[in-house]
Amino acid sequence: MKTRRKLKIGSVMAILSILLVLAGCGAKQDSTNEKSSNKQKVAVKHELGTTKVPENPKRIVVLELSFVDALHGLGIKPVGIADDNKKDMIEQLVNGKMKYTSVGTRQQPNLEVISSLKPDLIIADVQRHKAIYKDLQQIAPTIELNSRESTYEENIDAFKTIATATGKDKKAEERLNKHEETIAKLKKEVKEENGQTILPAVVRDTSFQAHTSASYDGGFLEKLGFKDAVQSKDAYAEMNLEQLSDINPDILILANNEGKLLTDEWKSNPLWKNLKAVKNHKVFVVDRNLWTRFRGVVSSEAIGKDTVKLLHDQQK
Amino acid sequence: MNIKKQRTSRYIIGFIGVFLLIAGIFIHVSVGSSSISITDVIRALFHPDNSKQTTIIQTLRLPRAVLAALIGASLAVAGALMQAITRNSLASPQVFGVNAGASLAIVVATILFPELHSKTTVYFSFLGSALGGITVYLFAAGGKVTHIKLALAGMAVHLFLSSLTQGVIVLNEDATDVLYWLVGSINGKNWSHVLVLLPWSVFGLLAAFIMGRSISILVLGENMATGLGEKVQWIRLVAGVIVIILAGSSVAVAGPIGFIGLMVPHIARKLVGGDYQRILPFSALLGGILLVYADILSRFIAYPFESPVGIVTALIGAPFFLYLARKGRKIKQ
Repeated sequence: MKTRRKLKIGSVMAILSILLVLAGCGAKQDSTNEKSSNKQKVAVKHELGTTKVPENPKRIVVLELSFVDALHGLGIKPVGIADDNKKDMIEQLVNGKMKYTSVGTRQQPNLEVISSLKPDLIIADVQRHKAIYKDLQQIAPTIELNSRESTYEENIDAFKTIATATGKDKKAEERLNKHEETIAKLKKEVKEENGQTILPAVVRDTSFQAHTSASYDGGFLEKLGFKDAVQSKDAYAEMNLEQLSDINPDILILANNEGKLLTDEWKSNPLWKNLKAVKNHKVFVVDRNLWTRFRGVVSSEAIGKDTVKLLHDQQK
Repeated sequence: MNIKKQRTSRYIIGFIGVFLLIAGIFIHVSVGSSSISITDVIRALFHPDNSKQTTIIQTLRLPRAVLAALIGASLAVAGALMQAITRNSLASPQVFGVNAGASLAIVVATILFPELHSKTTVYFSFLGSALGGITVYLFAAGGKVTHIKLALAGMAVHLFLSSLTQGVIVLNEDATDVLYWLVGSINGKNWSHVLVLLPWSVFGLLAAFIMGRSISILVLGENMATGLGEKVQWIRLVAGVIVIILAGSSVAVAGPIGFIGLMVPHIARKLVGGDYQRILPFSALLGGILLVYADILSRFIAYPFESPVGIVTALIGAPFFLYLARKGRKIKQ
């Protein structure tokens, strides 16, 4: 009986001492935050308010892929990325190797890892990370921007905001001018297809999700002179074969998921065989990362080049 | 005289039911993103040609309508059997964790083996639904458990299994694709799915109908049933297996469509009395009707785009569940 009580006291002491050590760690973190606050600050307006960001932030953590693209376009390397633990996806995005720390998935980023990186700026997605805005703010100045389900225009706005936050306004202007030039060039190359209806879609095991005129890739394709076959205010629309055959787009762009695909079942159906895009051999399977996940100034140019290549190769 | 009257009224109810089901299937087949008139529907069904309308109806809309009727019937009969063997009016595949178990098993299976055909996922579904059902049943088997407590235990198991499913989805970014399926949907299904489901549901439904008499006796009470020479444990076991087959195969094809198994047996009991020889076939008929019409409604939620039918059944079913829970309390007082 006595030994058991001793054990109890011992365990209580152990827990208390652990708590003390933890509290000590917490205190240490607070002091680093204070240090960084001595620097000059820039007020950045974003989707959830205005955040004061230290001038020329050096340690940036990003929680969506489009922000990686934006920083890449501005020549900045983030220290942490929510990369869904897929390093090769990031390598594909920045077209080469890059040193960074993974902070987990975009949906559930690991706050502990983020704070261990001691960032001076966090860029988060207003849709996915709205609920953890306050938590992120406690770690470092955070700006929340449009990424997921954002339109092409919103994405450009986010790019500009990131440029302001990182003190690269001039570089951003240059980059966007170059972007416009690239688009104009690409548009000329697909002159023949101007005005044709196009439907980008993500295909999975049980769903066919059309990307409408309000989606990022749909909006960008319209910039190139195509017309998205589904005009809508919502970015995505679930569809079945019947609706697809009603819409009957000239060009069909499929970003396939891994594994089984719904379209495999459709292929044996006469309705599929009678689609304009199928008859004219204008069904293209594209890389899902590039087309629907990256969403940024740099990768949209790659999407444009991909489109031109697909259409021209097919014509040969 | 009275018995005769009851019998004729049952025939009338049955006749109206069959008529409603057939009418429902016709409406179901004529509703969709491309407008097709009833006359065209009839032509496509009985004088098929090579037109686009015929193809749409024969390869897309008809299998979906058939699937709705089959799944509705399966889930309703599964619910009726569960209410009988647990002698609990709140029992149904959803409330007692059978659907949630099947969902968990299927989500795990699709993540581990993405290439799996739905013919095989059915077996995972059986395993999962058995897991969920047996867990809850063990609570019930202890005896002396009140109806509400058993329903609470069932909901607890349901929520636990659902949270595991959600956890699996959160940890696998690619698995978010399953979310749509998780609400319960028969959008985009074709004959191959009907073929996956058909053998299981026909077998399960027939077996349930054959057991109707034994089930009725079981409901009278364990002692009475034993006295009448019924092997109570065996009936329970066989009925349980039928529930797993019916609910498991439905979930494997269409996801966990809720509330059908809860509502329909009550309506059937109201219409044809307490004999399970009648309740079971009538539940099958009414379940088919309910899901066919619910699936028609589901198309108008976000027209012309599709919404999962599970939303509609939940909209109708949740108030019904609350009504039953209230009624149960009143009787006790």
